[in-house]
Amino acid sequence: MTLGLLASRALRSSRPINSPTTFLRTIISTPELHNNTSSAAAVADTPPPPPPDRTPVGGARVHFANPDDAIEVFVDGFPVKIPKGMTVLQACEVAGVDIPRFCYHNRLSIAGNCRMCLVEVEKSPKPVASCAMPALPGMKIKTDTPIAKKAREGVMEFLLMNHPLDCPICDQGGECDLQDQSMAFGSDRGRFTEVKRSVVDKNLGPLVKTVMTRCIQCTRCVRFATEIAGVQDLGMLGRGSGEEIGTYVEKLMTSELSGNVIDICPVGALTSKPFAFKARNWELKGTESIDVTDAVGSNIRIDSRGPEVMRIVPRLNEDINEEWISDKTRFCYDGLKRQRLNDPMIRDADGRFKTVSWRDALAVVAEAFHQVKPTEIVGVAGKLSDAESMMALKDLLNKMGSNNVWCEGNGLNVNADLRSGYLLNSGISGLENADLFLLVGTQPRVEAAMVNARIRKTVLATQAKVGYVGPPADLNYNHEHLGTGPEVLTQIAEGRHPFSSLLKNAKNPAIVVGAGIFERKDKDAIFSVVEAIAKQGNAIRPDWNGLNILLLNAAQAAALDLGLVPEADNSLETAKFVYLMGADDVNLEKLPSDAFVVYQGHHGDRGVYRANVILPAAAFSEKEGIYVNTEGYVQQTLPAVPTVGDAREDWKIIRALSEVAGVPLPYDTVGAVRSRMSTVAPHLLNLDEREPTTFTAEVKPKCSEKMSKDPFTNVVENFYMTDAITRASKIMAQCSALLSKK
Amino acid sequence: MAFTMRAVKVPPNSVSLEEARTRTFEFFKSACRSIPTVMEIYNLYDVVTPSQLRSNIAAQFRKNAHITNTKVIDMLLFKGMEELGDVVEHAKQRHHIIGQYVVGHHGLSQDSGTKDEGASDFLKNFYKTNYF
Ligand code: SF4
Ligand code: FES
Repeated sequence: MTLGLLASRALRSSRPINSPTTFLRTIISTPELHNNTSSAAAVADTPPPPPPDRTPVGGARVHFANPDDAIEVFVDGFPVKIPKGMTVLQACEVAGVDIPRFCYHNRLSIAGNCRMCLVEVEKSPKPVASCAMPALPGMKIKTDTPIAKKAREGVMEFLLMNHPLDCPICDQGGECDLQDQSMAFGSDRGRFTEVKRSVVDKNLGPLVKTVMTRCIQCTRCVRFATEIAGVQDLGMLGRGSGEEIGTYVEKLMTSELSGNVIDICPVGALTSKPFAFKARNWELKGTESIDVTDAVGSNIRIDSRGPEVMRIVPRLNEDINEEWISDKTRFCYDGLKRQRLNDPMIRDADGRFKTVSWRDALAVVAEAFHQVKPTEIVGVAGKLSDAESMMALKDLLNKMGSNNVWCEGNGLNVNADLRSGYLLNSGISGLENADLFLLVGTQPRVEAAMVNARIRKTVLATQAKVGYVGPPADLNYNHEHLGTGPEVLTQIAEGRHPFSSLLKNAKNPAIVVGAGIFERKDKDAIFSVVEAIAKQGNAIRPDWNGLNILLLNAAQAAALDLGLVPEADNSLETAKFVYLMGADDVNLEKLPSDAFVVYQGHHGDRGVYRANVILPAAAFSEKEGIYVNTEGYVQQTLPAVPTVGDAREDWKIIRALSEVAGVPLPYDTVGAVRSRMSTVAPHLLNLDEREPTTFTAEVKPKCSEKMSKDPFTNVVENFYMTDAITRASKIMAQCSALLSKK
Repeated sequence: MAFTMRAVKVPPNSVSLEEARTRTFEFFKSACRSIPTVMEIYNLYDVVTPSQLRSNIAAQFRKNAHITNTKVIDMLLFKGMEELGDVVEHAKQRHHIIGQYVVGHHGLSQDSGTKDEGASDFLKNFYKTNYF
């Protein structure tokens, strides 16, 4: 007998054991199965389900909170164990069967109005909508029967009846659920000969384009707006064929998360206005990167065509942004094409910039470097800097003998010794376990929209109480405005405030302090009061760290990890040489007029006005760089498009400058920079990992500083324009003109 | 029109290496003489100097210095003259000239100098491109 024949026999004989039909047969004792050890064990015990031969859809996993809650259902004859309360559709997903759907979305409430998910259930007279039907023990679900197929085909036919045939000019084309599912489940011909209905398009603002005739009334967008975004702007009007989605009155959609309705709309009814007619999705190259416009570090995919970023869409990360991103993240990309610096420039005697070669520019900077005293050198890293460049900047300045280097937004004498002193210690997803929030001087809705969405989710799910201290703010969940100034904090800490009793009774209180406080003179006093509050509420325990700092900028956490803390408090006032690495928001008014300013960055923004030399650098979409988000999660951007003009990556510029200045830095590659970083902060190399903080409040010295009476102020004036990229963006300018609340 | 009037007659072959050599020098001189015109019509003042152009032309000649076959030299001369004619007649555009004679293999010729001899490989690469 040849080997091949043997193998095929072995195959043939082993196949029935794995197939679902033999599972039932294991309880029949037949002589030939007795010598099979596994089935013999199965007979002795209750038969364990055979290893799933289908992989769950999208990596769906089941988590049994309580083993007693498990029930067993049969999907196409294949048994699955699922927790009680799951729907039929979820059970099918666990079993590896993807049910077509339009209205069901696992992060939204169940509407059950599209009927696409019909499946057959044994003993039920009609097909049932699986998304809305709870699975019952022993249910026999059939997803592949003629009845189910016919039901889907019928639903498709009804949906397509009133759906325009404009796929060739529709921006959703190619990534449209309706298109895909009509190919998979629809009929091959239509019977509809009447006139299609049409719906007036609505104006939802500068971000979302509507073609309402395409809408299939799945109400995902309405549910998203009310449940996740927390605005009651969208709704359903009319009945029957007159049903329309709209904003009841002429009104724009004013949510910082509005762009997400573009992703969840299964058809092309809601599409991106800036992206309209710009590209087809199949010609785009996707690069998995992260967002740097705030400190959250939302996971994004940068879709580019050639050298141009065409759009930004979210990527799933349950720990950070789930599957949403804020409008700033999504639509800031046109800022990457405007106001870019593309050549090294030197300011002439007459105050104009002249384009020069890199060689000349670096020579000028190096010469200026050597004409000042080491203590007069100052370096400021910008909001968007990656860890590599900040490491290089610090090393360069240290080699020049100066240690006055910091990252903007971090304040001047920030305490970088304890990692827990500047991070969101509970973690963004950890906030869901909190049952009480105290927001101190922070407005998460504008400072970190995704963190705000988490808090809102928690508040909705668990009725957690929210106390807020700060200027009047528009938070989109129930909250109690406790006061505007820090004196309320003292009252809470001393137990004189009604909120203290809530705090004491809370199991997992989360105190969120805004990073805007870093800029206050009395920040140490405020932090010690906040720590007292945390102690009072027992917020810092081995199993729960509820004292959180919510940072503002992408670079902040990494800067503090790397120890970018200035030596002297007022170094800018005496500086003679200032190196701005993308820093646009430092206050240069106090800078002596004869100081030499180098601006290294990618946008001609505020920092350029005072600069003597401009060194063009790469933006986050063009380089590989490590960023740490506000909860200490290390991630990296990847280059999606080539750099603009003659620009270079940030750390390379500093490395080249160091050599021209005669103090060469010892690294030539990204890998070498990173290994240098690992000697300072080893966790920065653990990509996509969150380094938890070890912390006890006790190690901090007592603070004797007096707290000032100044109320907390708004840290982010305009949500849509916070950094060089967003300020250069036309879409963001439109948004702030139309949408920000006056 | 200059293009149609152009003499398309091929000169007779050089009989000896000596004659080919003189012709080459003649051609080099005429090329050098046309540099001011070229600078003018392609507006090259901000990217290159006449001497850089001249050395570039000389480099093109030296590239073929090892050739001794008169037929090959004649052929190269013919090609060179044709190219020179095209350049002088403005049959090319500015980016052709910049691409071929100003930006060589080493970036803008104004950038390449003897200045960074002691520089590390990193720095030399850095001056050329971001991608290395
Ligand atoms: S606009 Fe889109 S998401 Fe909203 S109901 Fe219509 S099809 Fe659904
Ligand atoms: S997905 Fe079940 S009814 Fe729409």
